[in-house]
Amino acid sequence: MDMESAQVSDLDTLVKFDLKVLAADAAEVVAEEFIPVFHRWITERVLPELLIDVADYSHVHEGPGVLLVGHDAIYAYDLSRGEPGLLYSRRHESGAALEGIGSLDDRLRSLLECAFRACDLIEAEPNLSGRVAFDRHRLELRVNDRLFPSDEATAVTLAGAFQRALAEAGVRDGDAPVEVKRIGEPRERLTLRTG
Amino acid sequence: MSQLTVDSTATWKQRLEGRVPPHLDEEIDIFETQIAQKRQGKIDDKVFAETRLRRGVYGQRYDNGQRHDGTASRALEYPCGDLTKGPNTVWDAPGMLRIKIPFGAMNGEQMEVLADLAEEYSDGIAHVTTRQDIQLHFIHIDDTPDIMRRLAAAGITTQEACGNSVRNVTACPMAGVCRDEPFDVSPYAHALTHFLLGHKDAQDFGRKFKIAFSGCAQHACGLANMHDLGAVAQVRPTGNGTSSGTERGFKVYVGGGLGAVPHQAKVLREFVREDELLPLAQAVCRVFGRLGEKRNRARARVKFLVAKLGIEEFTRLVDEELAILPPDDRWSAYLGDLSVTDEAPTRPAATLEAGERPDGFAEWLGSNVQRQRQPGYVAVAINLPLGDLTSTQLRALADTTRRYNGGHVRNTVEQNILLRNISEADLPALYAELWEQGLGEPGASSLVDVTACPGTDTCKLGISASRGLAGELRKRIATSIKTTGVLADEAVKDLRIKVSGCFNSCGQHHVADIGFYGVSRKSDGRTIPHFQVILGGQWTENAGSYGLAVVAVPAKRIPEAVERIAGLFVTEREKGESFQNFIARVGKARIRQLLDDLTKLPTYLEDRTLYSDWGDPREYTIGDLGVGECAGEVVTAVEFGLSAAEREVFQGLLELDRGAAETAAEKAYAAMLQAARALITTENIDIGTAPEEIVGEFRTRFYDTELFFDPYAGAKFANYLFRIHGDAETDSGEEAHRRIEEAQLFIEAAHACNQRISELQAARVA
Repeated sequence: MDMESAQVSDLDTLVKFDLKVLAADAAEVVAEEFIPVFHRWITERVLPELLIDVADYSHVHEGPGVLLVGHDAIYAYDLSRGEPGLLYSRRHESGAALEGIGSLDDRLRSLLECAFRACDLIEAEPNLSGRVAFDRHRLELRVNDRLFPSDEATAVTLAGAFQRALAEAGVRDGDAPVEVKRIGEPRERLTLRTG
Repeated sequence: MSQLTVDSTATWKQRLEGRVPPHLDEEIDIFETQIAQKRQGKIDDKVFAETRLRRGVYGQRYDNGQRHDGTASRALEYPCGDLTKGPNTVWDAPGMLRIKIPFGAMNGEQMEVLADLAEEYSDGIAHVTTRQDIQLHFIHIDDTPDIMRRLAAAGITTQEACGNSVRNVTACPMAGVCRDEPFDVSPYAHALTHFLLGHKDAQDFGRKFKIAFSGCAQHACGLANMHDLGAVAQVRPTGNGTSSGTERGFKVYVGGGLGAVPHQAKVLREFVREDELLPLAQAVCRVFGRLGEKRNRARARVKFLVAKLGIEEFTRLVDEELAILPPDDRWSAYLGDLSVTDEAPTRPAATLEAGERPDGFAEWLGSNVQRQRQPGYVAVAINLPLGDLTSTQLRALADTTRRYNGGHVRNTVEQNILLRNISEADLPALYAELWEQGLGEPGASSLVDVTACPGTDTCKLGISASRGLAGELRKRIATSIKTTGVLADEAVKDLRIKVSGCFNSCGQHHVADIGFYGVSRKSDGRTIPHFQVILGGQWTENAGSYGLAVVAVPAKRIPEAVERIAGLFVTEREKGESFQNFIARVGKARIRQLLDDLTKLPTYLEDRTLYSDWGDPREYTIGDLGVGECAGEVVTAVEFGLSAAEREVFQGLLELDRGAAETAAEKAYAAMLQAARALITTENIDIGTAPEEIVGEFRTRFYDTELFFDPYAGAKFANYLFRIHGDAETDSGEEAHRRIEEAQLFIEAAHACNQRISELQAARVA
């Protein structure tokens, strides 16, 4: 097996990713407003996956805000780094909607789909009356599994795959792919950021 | 592009090979095997449940696969199908992991590992508990072996964090730096932790066993009075005073505990020498293991055994065990190196000189900083909202502590974190760093620093939203302080508020100045979340006395109740009068009167806000009761009867206040009879008033049928009635106090039973 195929094979096994879509404008919204929204999503089964509970951490400084806990993923109106945004944190891939994911590229496409769908729903949420909007060009992708090294090689491979997924999702910088760069300290989880 | 060297075949077991202590490595491997066996159906549900509990792997709300969304109970279709991890506990349901942090001590590496685990497996939050543990929520059981390995590599175990075992050994967070302690209790807490962990004499308990160490008797410190085993540091002259030296030892308490019915601990030994402590604890474990209740969990704690036997007989049995214990080198080996828990300062001692200060520094200095006995050093408390901090904060705190004290902290039972051995001169810079991290809030251990158990947020037993209420109280108190409202008054500044989601007292409401525990009440055909208001508890003197319930107030009106109680104290207290003495002087009747209008319930159409809980917009109901649009307030005969029972027990409270123990106990008994009779009227309207008839009918109709049984506590509350019926008279103040508590819980159980009956009837009609 050559090095390129080994790389793809290894990262294909990586399931746990965080994808955050930063808010373009959220000054008029407080995190607690998401509590009834997320409860309603559970009741009305708004998403095609098992949703379990809502957790409120809006009292914590630059914390995870308000969480919608599902079996396959956690959705959050996240306040970390003082930058509000929609966080999609995948933990498992058991639901029917996530069947057939076999490669890193598949997975990144699926992450973007799930996160953008949640953004669409929030932006259309009557109770938030258009007071929050997300910038789909300002994204953070994080590897949430420390078994995978947070090294430069992984970052480069992941960045390439992320750019391809973004392009397929229509997230481009004009005709060019969006710029993806690594942020954070080496001891932190590997994190890429667009824009 | 550099070459990629990812090894996707690595596992945490492989990655950490050689770094996990062998005994823990083996223990975790066994658990991983048991997980595999359970998946294959080769382990019984109950056995597996206790197995995982003993590793700290706990259940969480909705893990039975059902969730009420405010209108109906709906199934949560977990992918695991029928696979369970205990009775009625679905495999895939998120759970809680309790991580033992002996005497709350953590180092930088441990903080970083906890931060990593919270991010990767939980929700990015580490939660400090009221027993100095760390809890992670929304954990999948399949991830627990790897989490345990990563913890073990950093010197942490979850072994015996839950289940019928010796739980986290707690200690005063100021141990070693306190100005009032005769010596540092930390190495003794450390030694006892490791001695009893997995000890064969501590494996056959009917219930959990909690141990606490305190450096002194006068402060809250380790809360020794409310533990199964409490040790308070003492020194005494050697040789009966004939020599000039002193020897270390402990005053040892046994049989304390909160829970539904709190017990004050009894003195087991006025003084045990340091080398006698471990064998004494071992002997207590043996007596508890041998004679403690096993079948009835509700009466299986040590406190019930001590109450049943009497402290003299219990002491005799412990002495008997001590006499036959096989000698163990570990009893005294640790005494050769008591520095094992030392945290030496890394910065030079220096006083705080005058100079420019960051904004907010003075207020923070006044509330969050305590002088140590070591000159030039202070201990700094981090006021954590609801005991929560993020992984980012925990990691940043690890860095900060490395710079200022070598990387050491202690978790506190008030759900805060304490940094010790901080040079006074470093305070402005430290404050600036903590503020930047969102950890510089003032008000630690004050009114605004409200303690709460998880309650309905994540706990399966939660009745009301204790964290929701605590969060709301924090906001309102902070606002009141900023706007110089009644809660800003100096008189109330240091009062403690503690909230539990149910009667089990994980929020330690019994020892708060103002405590609350969650209950529910029925009105207008629906259920309304309430909290019982508990007043008169004592936090100091190691939880010196326990408060009693005054009245149940709707959850949404509790902030108003707090303002009224605080306002009354501010305006009517006598000079120098403590809150506890004030409550005793004005009396609970006055407080009840003060809050009376808050207990009046509007109909659902008049005010729906009361029909949901704090931080949870779902309508607070259980079942699918239909309510007609024109339905007025309907109070059934049983509700009237239960209300009368509440009045009766309140009268008992007043009798207890004036020292009439015998009358108070009679009132408690009468209240239980009234509540039981009220329930019986739903089936037999002709029931008489003779105690024998009521108890007989109650047994037949509600006990034998298990209608009265609590879903979790089973027959516990019913047995309160049978016991008091068989032994009605007492003139003991302590016993009367207990009976009042039991009567209150019996009435709560009667309310819950009535709700269940209503739902069954409604379901039949539907």
